[in-house]
Amino acid sequence: MKLAKNLLVEFAYFLDASRRYKRVKTFCYNLLENDDYPYKKYFDFFMIFIILSSVTLLVVDVKHQIPKWLDNLDLYVVTAVFIVEYIIRMWVYSDVHKLVIEAYEEALFFSKPFAPLSLFKKIFKSKWEYMITPSAIIDLVAILPSYRGLRVLRVLILFRAFKMLRYAKSLTSFLEVLKNKKFELITLLTLSGFFIFIAGIMLYVFEGNNQNPNIKNLFDAFYWALITISTVGYGDIAPITPEGRVVTMLIIFTGIGLISFATSIIVSSFSERLTMLREDRIVQNLSKKESITVICGFGLLGRLVARELHKEGVAFVVIEKDEALAEMAYGMGYKAICADATNEKVFAQLKIKTNISHVLCLTSDDIVNIFIAVNIKSLNPKVHVSARCSDEEIAQKMYFANVDQVIMPEEIAGMMAAVYEGEPVAFEVLLSIVDQKDKIKMDEIEIIEHGFGNQKTLQELDLDSMRVILLGILRNPQLKDSKFIFNPEDDFMLQAGDNLVCIGHETAISNLKRKMQ
Amino acid sequence: MSAKLVIFGFGSFGRHLYKHLCDVDKEVIVVVDKKNYDTSFKHIVTPKKINIKHNEDIKALGIDEANDVVYCAMNKTAHNLFLVLSLKTLYRDLNIIAISNSFENARKLKYAGATSVIDLYEATSKRFVNMLTKPAVTKAVDEIIYNENDLKMAEIVIPKDSAIDAKRLSEINFKKHGIVLIAIIDRERGNELSFIDHRIDHKVDSGDTLVVVAKKDDFVAFGKFIAAS
Repeated sequence: MKLAKNLLVEFAYFLDASRRYKRVKTFCYNLLENDDYPYKKYFDFFMIFIILSSVTLLVVDVKHQIPKWLDNLDLYVVTAVFIVEYIIRMWVYSDVHKLVIEAYEEALFFSKPFAPLSLFKKIFKSKWEYMITPSAIIDLVAILPSYRGLRVLRVLILFRAFKMLRYAKSLTSFLEVLKNKKFELITLLTLSGFFIFIAGIMLYVFEGNNQNPNIKNLFDAFYWALITISTVGYGDIAPITPEGRVVTMLIIFTGIGLISFATSIIVSSFSERLTMLREDRIVQNLSKKESITVICGFGLLGRLVARELHKEGVAFVVIEKDEALAEMAYGMGYKAICADATNEKVFAQLKIKTNISHVLCLTSDDIVNIFIAVNIKSLNPKVHVSARCSDEEIAQKMYFANVDQVIMPEEIAGMMAAVYEGEPVAFEVLLSIVDQKDKIKMDEIEIIEHGFGNQKTLQELDLDSMRVILLGILRNPQLKDSKFIFNPEDDFMLQAGDNLVCIGHETAISNLKRKMQ
Repeated sequence: MSAKLVIFGFGSFGRHLYKHLCDVDKEVIVVVDKKNYDTSFKHIVTPKKINIKHNEDIKALGIDEANDVVYCAMNKTAHNLFLVLSLKTLYRDLNIIAISNSFENARKLKYAGATSVIDLYEATSKRFVNMLTKPAVTKAVDEIIYNENDLKMAEIVIPKDSAIDAKRLSEINFKKHGIVLIAIIDRERGNELSFIDHRIDHKVDSGDTLVVVAKKDDFVAFGKFIAAS
């Protein structure tokens, strides 16, 4: 006995230390449960294929003889796959060896005898937890039809179709919606059950005593009540006595009420949950992408920035607290989530640790912007945060909170206005470059390693003939000490990584870009 | 009487404007509306308090139509629009710069007669986006406009009997002077502003305006160079 105990504990420690065991278990977990795992898709497709073929066999079997080998294949292979899947799911649900170690160390710590019985109870409890989840029950029932002794069990193959729910996300979210209206749905079911019960019994009392040949027992009466109350009305069983007809009239009215009740429940739950479902989708899609830009706040500035980013083809998502504004962002074709950007939740969902590269805090409230910025920086200091701000004192606090860039709209206007003073033409030029309203653009063109411009002098490049004005060159743009070289000489040697800052007509700029490829 | 700069409004826009315009060597007058005046900035400036609805009050400011520049920087665009209209009815040729918070309002202000409209959020949003997508451009614009750097964008009107009068652009070595030429108003071709694309070799005459980017010193030197006959 003691030996067995020691063996158990030692084995648990061995598993805990084994990297291989962990790897295999993680792999299984990913394959079965992790939606982000790229190969889960293939596993899901495989399972759906097996299920569909199994159901097809059931249907074909009704009128045709299925070859013996196919039947055996269905019986053994499919069942085996299902059983293995069930067992693995149960295995990855919880770590048994950890429970063993825990119990052992606890016993050691309190110098109590190591009690295997309570341990086994604990282990069983953790696995039982899995076994009573709805999807686990469906899995188990889907295995049952393999027992060919009972004909009725054959129908349970259809439970294999329910198994598909697990592999198709959209179906699950449909059920999720209904789950939220549990109370209303239960009320509805109870109510209709009550009416069917009363109406069924009444009809049975009035017509069951051989008055109506169609109603032989209570079951017939309940069947009739359900068909009538649901306003389906097959007419295979119809009341013939005046009393029966009065009952019919009454339950038809209740039926109409119940059906409209049911419709309203489902419709309202969908309209309530639709945005949420959509946002889940957005979050899921985005969490697979890397380097997303997040816009917090969809006010005046947020809208403009979103428009420009959209034009530039940058992947971004809008987070807005106000429902109406979030809805508006969605209506404009952007990815939008209605959430509070000062909370961690939404950023955790978007995987801020790995997937978010830039966050723009654009709400009109400086304090909220600081709040968002601090929230993000505390979650992941590497994310580039820029914030809008309208007060210099607050701007200083933002820099103190490590915000990478603070932009003050009023400041910009002030500076631009100061440029205007005395020089209206220069100002017009500046405005058209800054606003980019005309076809004249200021843009940057990168010199790439194997591109045209690398290791050439400016003279060789001959930008004049490309119809652009070279303002300057930014060297080492990735580094902190990047340098803007204004108006370089003709014999300036270009190198890979340099960015040419040019002013010119849209077409000229894009021509130049193409040439530099 | 020397030219003045008049700022209407001392809200968040007005204050920033005032800060930058103070560096300019001209008299700056701040005017605020009597009713909505925020007294918490008394220590910075003593504004003139008027009722912007009364033409008499505006006239009393003594604005010089030909030389002065007026900035409409009230916090509410509606007030700015009203001001632009009032000023335009009083002084037909006055230079008015208005601040707007959207493209749509910019159009209205232009229609009302503002000489130039600074679209606050448009410029800001461009800056946010450029920061993400065009770091080099942002850096360049920073150097020219936002940083208190010696690089600046400026205009030069070619004086009479200039050294470069009647010369073609291709004959002038701007690079030697440290100047980047961006645009020109060539009087011979009408008053249109045209960006330099090296397609047309403009002939420079007196009265033409060149828009250039240059270091301040180079700019001053260049100004002297062209002034010499």
